[in-house]
Amino acid sequence: MSTAMNFSSKSFTPRPPDKGAFPLDHFGECSAFKERFMECLRHSGYESAACRQSAMAYLECRMDRQLMANEPLEKLGFKDLINEKSEEKPEKS
Amino acid sequence: MEPVRDRRIRVTFNADTHASIQWNFKPQQSEIWVVPGETALAFYKAKNPTDKPIIGISTYNVVPFEAGQYFNKIQCFCFEEQRLNPQEEVDMPVFFYIDPEFAEDPKMAKVDLITLSYTFFEAKEGQKLPLPGYQ
Repeated sequence: MSTAMNFSSKSFTPRPPDKGAFPLDHFGECSAFKERFMECLRHSGYESAACRQSAMAYLECRMDRQLMANEPLEKLGFKDLINEKSEEKPEKS
Repeated sequence: MEPVRDRRIRVTFNADTHASIQWNFKPQQSEIWVVPGETALAFYKAKNPTDKPIIGISTYNVVPFEAGQYFNKIQCFCFEEQRLNPQEEVDMPVFFYIDPEFAEDPKMAKVDLITLSYTFFEAKEGQKLPLPGYQ
């Protein structure tokens, strides 16, 4: 158990998200993208790295519908997926 | 920011509602495996099963609390009022990453499980909630 003399420990303070709150998707405009992502997670044993393409597609859906502020996907951690996309012919399922 | 592939971390999800709010609120996945330095997406779901609109506001907690400083939410549904109409159900995404410095911290060497908990409260007029930045 930590004692009061543990000066190096930080107590948990919740911080607001960097880019604020997602507006609610009241009309389910991106539900299909969410479903595809969730299906990917289920099939991959809930491995986030396996489903980044679907995660990116979901966020793109939000941005296209003003449900998320537009941000270059490279800045959201998808730089490697964008580079892949521009090298190959894009395949849309 | 580069992923630290040799540090797989299991992130589990909890959902709570304060007694004051009648929403049904739950995570859409019980867990997700991530690595520090790579962004990840996860979902919660909320439903208002009543016949009146309800405005909720949420806060979150991270356990173990020493890991909380490395848990970065890029965007989520927290700290702002969210209104659900009667019978409405919505997806609530959380987009986050664990800071790569997590892998450098000797105090985190044995941490391979991080639990993220969200709690929703009802936002009533004139009520003060102990949330960062909440007016």
